[in-house]
Amino acid sequence: MEIKTINYDKIDETMYLYQHESGLKAFVIPKKGYSKKYAAFGTHYGSINNEFIVDGEKIKVPDGIAHFLEHKLFEQKDGSVMDKFSKLGSSPNAYTSFSQTVYLFSCTDKFFENFNLLLDYVQNPYITEESVEKEKSIIGQEIRMYDDNANWRVFFNLLDAFYEKNTVKIDIAGTVESISKIDREILYKCYNTFYHPSNMVIIVVGDVEPEKVFEMVEKNIIKGKKDIKIQRIFPEEPVAINKPYIEQKLAVSMPLFQMGFKDINFETKGIKCLNREIAVKILLEIILGRSSSLYTELYNEGLINNTFDFDYSIEENYAFSSFGGESKDPLLVKEKVVNRIKDLYQKGINKKDYQRIKKAMRGRFVKQLNSVDRTAHMFMSVYFKEVNIFDYLDVYDQISFDYVEKVFSEHFDTQRLAVSVIKPV
Amino acid sequence: MFKDNQVKKIASANGITLFWIQTQKFKTNSINIFFHDNLTNENASKNALIPAVLRRGCSKHPSIRDISLYLDELYGTSFDCGVTKKGENQIIQFYIECISDKYISEDIDLTKKAFDFLMEIITEPVMENGCFKNEYVIQEIDKMKELIKGRVNDKMHYAIDRCLEEMCINEPFGIYDYGSLENLKSINNKDLYEYYLKFIKTLPMYVFVSGDLKPEQIEYIKDNLFKIKRDVEIDIKEAEIEVAVDKVKNVIETFDVNQGKLSLGFRTNTYPNDEEYYKLILYNSILGGGVQSKLFQNVREKEGLAYYVFSRLEKFKGLMVISSGIEIANKDKTIKIINEQLEEIVKGNITEYEYEAAQKSIETGIKSIKDSQLQLVDFYLSQFITKSDDSPDMVIEKVKNVSVKDVADIASKIKLDTIYFITNKERGN
Repeated sequence: MEIKTINYDKIDETMYLYQHESGLKAFVIPKKGYSKKYAAFGTHYGSINNEFIVDGEKIKVPDGIAHFLEHKLFEQKDGSVMDKFSKLGSSPNAYTSFSQTVYLFSCTDKFFENFNLLLDYVQNPYITEESVEKEKSIIGQEIRMYDDNANWRVFFNLLDAFYEKNTVKIDIAGTVESISKIDREILYKCYNTFYHPSNMVIIVVGDVEPEKVFEMVEKNIIKGKKDIKIQRIFPEEPVAINKPYIEQKLAVSMPLFQMGFKDINFETKGIKCLNREIAVKILLEIILGRSSSLYTELYNEGLINNTFDFDYSIEENYAFSSFGGESKDPLLVKEKVVNRIKDLYQKGINKKDYQRIKKAMRGRFVKQLNSVDRTAHMFMSVYFKEVNIFDYLDVYDQISFDYVEKVFSEHFDTQRLAVSVIKPV
Repeated sequence: MFKDNQVKKIASANGITLFWIQTQKFKTNSINIFFHDNLTNENASKNALIPAVLRRGCSKHPSIRDISLYLDELYGTSFDCGVTKKGENQIIQFYIECISDKYISEDIDLTKKAFDFLMEIITEPVMENGCFKNEYVIQEIDKMKELIKGRVNDKMHYAIDRCLEEMCINEPFGIYDYGSLENLKSINNKDLYEYYLKFIKTLPMYVFVSGDLKPEQIEYIKDNLFKIKRDVEIDIKEAEIEVAVDKVKNVIETFDVNQGKLSLGFRTNTYPNDEEYYKLILYNSILGGGVQSKLFQNVREKEGLAYYVFSRLEKFKGLMVISSGIEIANKDKTIKIINEQLEEIVKGNITEYEYEAAQKSIETGIKSIKDSQLQLVDFYLSQFITKSDDSPDMVIEKVKNVSVKDVADIASKIKLDTIYFITNKERGN
């Protein structure tokens, strides 16, 4: 068995890697002295993948199916797999994001029994018509819960403002209507297409021996067909934003907003992708972070409060920045942001700001490695971009001021600025 | 003190107690300073405003911007402060966390700088005409009004908080962590500043330093901490736990929502420092403490009524709340099924699986505390408040000794007090 070891001496971390003959890669990041052990088994398949080719046939599946499948995988021939994890004292969980579905558990004891169970159930679906029907009412309540969640709604409305066709705008759980069309057969079709080991990854973080983890992977992963090629179909998305403004009313105390820039011409894989992410995040800090003059102005004028935050997402077929929170006048916030950006176009970015923020972001990155859960989660969120979390260290060390300046002029184009607002009923 | 070698009491004088959680596991060092007060209508909003105003600036870094520029230079050191309640105590927290010096190339003592900064925030506010800077006070009062009004924005948490508040409407626990809009109306800068001087001198202070520090760093922290001028500290009262329920209270609030939110509030009549409390921990886990619990298995898995359903303890006040998001029309049915689960436990109908899984889930949860500095600090602070000296391992041992019969016994002490429901205007109830 060939195990690759990569040392990151600067931050006292080591990562071990093993590739199974099916094509699946498994990673271990040992955490000496930690009680908690965390394992995740993920597939490169999420809510955006609703059209693909199976056996030469192009099919379109109901919205929300990746998430539905995630719920159904917990069901096994001899009952719910959750019960088995519970008996071992671990907490099983799973989540579906735009481009991945991840099954995980954390435990403090009997790691290998838990791990065995994880590998087993994810590879052996047992879905019955009856259980699919029952799940519709549970997920129906999940959807209703999100329908009332203003933070969730304001974010998805922003995606709708950005994108005309891109499937990222579709709610991860789908709608009550779309999931009503889901049946056993179509769930299996999705499973058989996307749950091939070569489309999946395993990450274990905690005080465990990497060799033992990899031995279990070697033994328990089903080899399957070799060289399968998944053909995902994504609709062609125009460069322009779908609509500049979108508004909804909900039972909230004051308006809530999210706004941001739809990105174009970005790299979707590799270190370039992380470079862009960090460059935009540095720029967001410079423009509207707590150390910016704009933040002070907005805060002092009562236009934002402590709920204000910002982020940048970059995946295989979309990228965008977003920032928002509660505000009595979201459109005035927009006006001030636009003016500040115009101002920066004239005056240019201050190199000292770039250096200071880069240093702070690197420190915050190191801090996140304190948490077993956080480390595994971060690993998963970047893995399918063909990078690993420790590549961020290289990015912080190497990202140049020229590059950040270039990204500024590319990303912060007010033609591609969209605004989403939730107003009180 | 704690029967545990992980946390050390370094010193205690003038109502200030300093603890050190010594650990090399983490890449950061953290310092938490807590002030304790009794939760009262008179002071709740003032206590909440103090950290809000102090965080705006100190003499050396007089604005949010200056603070942020400085923390960036300290390699992204995190700083925050705020207020929470534990039972009928209001706790005002100041927190700072910096990465360990070994991960930076410069030769500076980051931990010392972080501590100095936190002390400056607490003891050297930005002054104007013998008070706080007026602009900061006015703005923070406005923000706090927004925050209090904004509680309704998160219906899931709101439904839990409101249930317990309605239940304890005539007790200090019924006061919201941030006080009320009414309290805020009467606060001005002069009163608040005078209150702050009293706050610094008389509220008991607990300081937790956590991480891989050198003894001389601890010495430095100790010396500077005890320079704070103090008067006689105030007495912290214990919450009233045993409260009789005459009649179950029904509370309904109406919003324009898709999903109904149901909360059931209970009196456990169990003190957090009593041996009975360990029975309650297991009881709660069996009832609604995870996927193995009776509520999850029946309300969600069997009946498909909800996506989330759980029970949770508020140990400092001896309360328990059950919460779920359901179809509005299913309110009565859900309550019926919840009641059946409560009855089952009273009768001692607990399967071996439910018992074992609950035990293990508690064990895993408590062991995991050791992997987070903030959770460790919270654990020891909570133990300190309840005057319990058990370490995490001892809590696990004591829960292990709880039998099925013990759980059934404690179940009979738990009384439903309030049923709270969020419903929709059109659908009514």
